[in-house]
Amino acid sequence: MNVSSPPLAGGRAAGKGWRQALAIDERDAWIAHAQTGAGRMLLLLAAMAAVVPHFGVWTGVLAAAAAMGAVVWPARRTAILFAATWLSAGLNTALGEVDTVANIRLVFVQESVDPSLAPLLALASLSVLFIASFAALRYVRHAPQSLLARRPLLVLLAFEALLCVAGGAGLLHGWPRVLVWSAVFVFTPYLWFLPFAIADLRSRTPSPLPLQVAVLRPYWSPAYLPFGKGAAFLRKHLSKTPRELAVTQLKAIKLLVWANLLWALLALLRWLFDKRMAVPEVDRAIDAFLAGQPYPRALAWAAIVLAAARYALQVAVWAHLFIGIARLAGYRLPRGSWRPLEARTLMDYFNRFHYYFKELLVDLFFMPTFFRVFKNHPRLRMFFATFMAAGVGNALWHFTRNIDVVASTGLASASTSYTSYLFYAALLAVGVGLSQVRANMGLRPATTPLARAASFVFVWSFVIGIHVFGDGSRSHTLTERLQFMAALLGASP
Amino acid sequence: MNLSAKQQLKNFIDKALASQADRGAYTDDEALFSSGRLDSFSMMNLVMYLEQTFAIDFSSTGFDIDLVDSIDAIESLVDIQALAR
Repeated sequence: MNVSSPPLAGGRAAGKGWRQALAIDERDAWIAHAQTGAGRMLLLLAAMAAVVPHFGVWTGVLAAAAAMGAVVWPARRTAILFAATWLSAGLNTALGEVDTVANIRLVFVQESVDPSLAPLLALASLSVLFIASFAALRYVRHAPQSLLARRPLLVLLAFEALLCVAGGAGLLHGWPRVLVWSAVFVFTPYLWFLPFAIADLRSRTPSPLPLQVAVLRPYWSPAYLPFGKGAAFLRKHLSKTPRELAVTQLKAIKLLVWANLLWALLALLRWLFDKRMAVPEVDRAIDAFLAGQPYPRALAWAAIVLAAARYALQVAVWAHLFIGIARLAGYRLPRGSWRPLEARTLMDYFNRFHYYFKELLVDLFFMPTFFRVFKNHPRLRMFFATFMAAGVGNALWHFTRNIDVVASTGLASASTSYTSYLFYAALLAVGVGLSQVRANMGLRPATTPLARAASFVFVWSFVIGIHVFGDGSRSHTLTERLQFMAALLGASP
Repeated sequence: MNLSAKQQLKNFIDKALASQADRGAYTDDEALFSSGRLDSFSMMNLVMYLEQTFAIDFSSTGFDIDLVDSIDAIESLVDIQALAR
């Protein structure tokens, strides 16, 4: 598993004309202007214009303003971060910008309880989570040898599983069930942030507690994935000089603009292929195949290629928006998605395509496995640790990402409908694991143009080929998808 | 860490850098991994080398890139582990 990071700039040395034209972060005049009041105001307005269409007005304005506020008042950075993160969490919950309220409302309806109370309950649960997180982190600081401190992810996953079983096993009904699922929906995203805070608290130079709590699902990324990891990573990547800060903020604007260009490209793809050329969604292509009226093979392949392209673009757009805002706040963070089309191996693809997801898997699954098992079998050790990350960790994260399915369909049904993604994760893990072992043996692809082309074809054929199993939809079984793929490959009538 | 062990460690780092076509000089306090000069494979290989050569058990100490980021950091890690035994 690759633990190296993509460059901050995300680009080759500016050699071409258009690259130089865009290199505003390398021009002294721009860097100097970015340090003035007027320059900062311009950066702030540009950032707001870039994020509001995606975040919504309130949270978009809050995110950009908080990022710039931390730069203007560096002495109050932690306080601004803390306030913005939890205000943003409350706003996102109350305004329905995250899926928490919708999920809670679903359980209200299941239990025939008045669903208008869902936003209130979501906010109350968020308050409990805030207090509980503080208490848990304080406990870890005072008891660094406790189980929670030593095995944070294991303990938190066990807690999550316990809540899911309580809410999904038919033991609870009415308000108790509503309360349990409300806790699950609010807690689940934080499950993937708390281990970073706990690990940092156990390090030799831990960040203070308020900063740890301030970066639990920080205001720049109200996601399930820690973009920017935890306080330790952020501390290490904070700009140190005024010039470095200005350069980082200019890079932030470039990245936010780039995110919007990719967003426009995504819209263009949808218009061109979905609307004008009537390329079906993968789900529709499988439905048609199962109904005995399959689309022409080329059209079905186009559906799969387009689905993979759309997914790659979506990941890049959101990653660039999140990292763009964090950079505006002065954090010199690596990009979240960095030229995945240039990947030379599957492992390289995994690192480039979704850097912070890979980092989460490396930190929470690869490292603990690598340092504990098969120490006398180097290749097996590497492969197994990679499999635990790209396979087991990947599958677990995605399962919790859609934990509402457990509430709506039950644990058994949610697990059954997840087999296709499990298959996808296993294929990806074997591919990335073998790629890792090969690289560890010194087998790296040649750098000739032909070898680069071959690498591109291999990597992207693999990625597109398995995408049909991992597109996140639960509407078709693994068997149905296998039959569909077999037909596309000409292996069945 | 004695001089011979340190030289062996430097030879290991030289080889790792050479495998990435990097034959440039480096200082004892230079960051090798966080700077991007060495990649994750080299890090894992270095971890295995340190486990085998100096009996360092990262599963008990915990792993942080800073622990192995430079020759000085590794030397300090090895010395602390030796003292602890």
